[in-house]
Amino acid sequence: MPDHTSNGMQCNEFDLLLSDALDGVLSGAGLDRFQAHARSCKTCGPLLEEAEAGRQWLKGLTEVEPPASLVPNILASTTGVDTQRLRTTVRAPQPRVSWWEHVQASFLEPTWALVRQPRFAMSFGMAFFALSVSLTMAGVNIHDVMSISLRPSAIRQTYYHTQAKVVRYVDNVRAVYTMQAALREIKRNMSPAEPGPAKQKERKNDTTQKPEQKQERNYSQTGEKLILAGAPVGPFVFDRIIDPSNPDLPVVSVTTDRRFV
Amino acid sequence: MEDVQVVAMLVRRCIAGDATAWEEIVQSYNRRIYNICYRFAGSSDDAQDLTQEVFIKMYRTLPSYDPSKGAFVTWVTTITRNLLVDHFRKTKQDRMTDSMDSTASEHEDAQPLSEQIPDQSAPPDTRVRQREVQETVHQALGKLSPELREALILRDLQDMDYKEIATALRVPEGTVKSRINRGRAELARLLQRTYRQVM
Repeated sequence: MPDHTSNGMQCNEFDLLLSDALDGVLSGAGLDRFQAHARSCKTCGPLLEEAEAGRQWLKGLTEVEPPASLVPNILASTTGVDTQRLRTTVRAPQPRVSWWEHVQASFLEPTWALVRQPRFAMSFGMAFFALSVSLTMAGVNIHDVMSISLRPSAIRQTYYHTQAKVVRYVDNVRAVYTMQAALREIKRNMSPAEPGPAKQKERKNDTTQKPEQKQERNYSQTGEKLILAGAPVGPFVFDRIIDPSNPDLPVVSVTTDRRFV
Repeated sequence: MEDVQVVAMLVRRCIAGDATAWEEIVQSYNRRIYNICYRFAGSSDDAQDLTQEVFIKMYRTLPSYDPSKGAFVTWVTTITRNLLVDHFRKTKQDRMTDSMDSTASEHEDAQPLSEQIPDQSAPPDTRVRQREVQETVHQALGKLSPELREALILRDLQDMDYKEIATALRVPEGTVKSRINRGRAELARLLQRTYRQVM
């Protein structure tokens, strides 16, 4: 702005007073000097008109309305809380829901959403893999399991069938023990004069000597001879035979699971 | 606009972690800040983003507000103005690149303002005409330099006094008055030229 004096006022001073004049706060002698300068100065006169016009244009600008989403967005980005009550959308009335839909919405869907998380899915996969490997190693065939009938009649039939099997097994074991006891009695009757200490010395369960040496000795002593049922030689199978030289005297041959030399 | 004690209490509650107090501040000042941003940036999308940035910065720097140094609205306006200036500097390079890349016919800013204004003789509805006039003034405001524009926005659109504007812009009060005078005059010249060409 050129700095020249007109009517006792410089243009710089006019510029400073221009805002006050437009705001209406300039009065008295100051206002008179201001108006006189505006009339006489070729620069400041048009400036006053233009400033007044520009002010009027700006007065015509009204405030714009912020978007409705602005405040919720600000709150969400600052406090991290999406304030639901700020949202202007009105909720539609909720339809009636059945108990199954209620259970589904409150329990099943959240649970399913939880299960679908990758970490849980991986854990379940590993558990299933471990279970299937264990069943395979245990000899469980999945087809056998799937073919099991769960009808009450089938379950009852399976129960009775299993019970009969157990009863038969117990009866068989009892018969074997009875036979074993009878043979032990017969043996005792056949050899009443054997000295106790010597017999005691040959017992297999004598732990005073080395087991391997004792076993070797027992094997060499037995040879091809028949071993009586009362002899403690481990698991055996009974096979009752009749000695042709003495048909009255029952002789028992014992077959062990060990190889006799 | 604000009761100093009430605002100071709100700020203290905010700093203490009261979300309701912060919500009150957001409700009270979002309209003002949005309007400043809209008039300065020119578009609604930019104004939304800038307003959000202003509040994020406010939320982070709220403990630094000192009521003894000035009104809360002045502090808020200073933050807004600083962000707007940063935004202007950041987008200045983009605008220069755009103006070099685009031809005069396809770039809106390359056209005279009169060519951007639709035919004003046709609309019969007064409200439509008012809206068009407002849009014309808004576009003309965007043509001003940032210094003049921000001074005009704070004075004529936000009704801040010269002292508050001087504090917010960090310039002397005389400079504020001078910028306002020059801004008003330049805006008027721009609009007069535009309407003379339309007529």
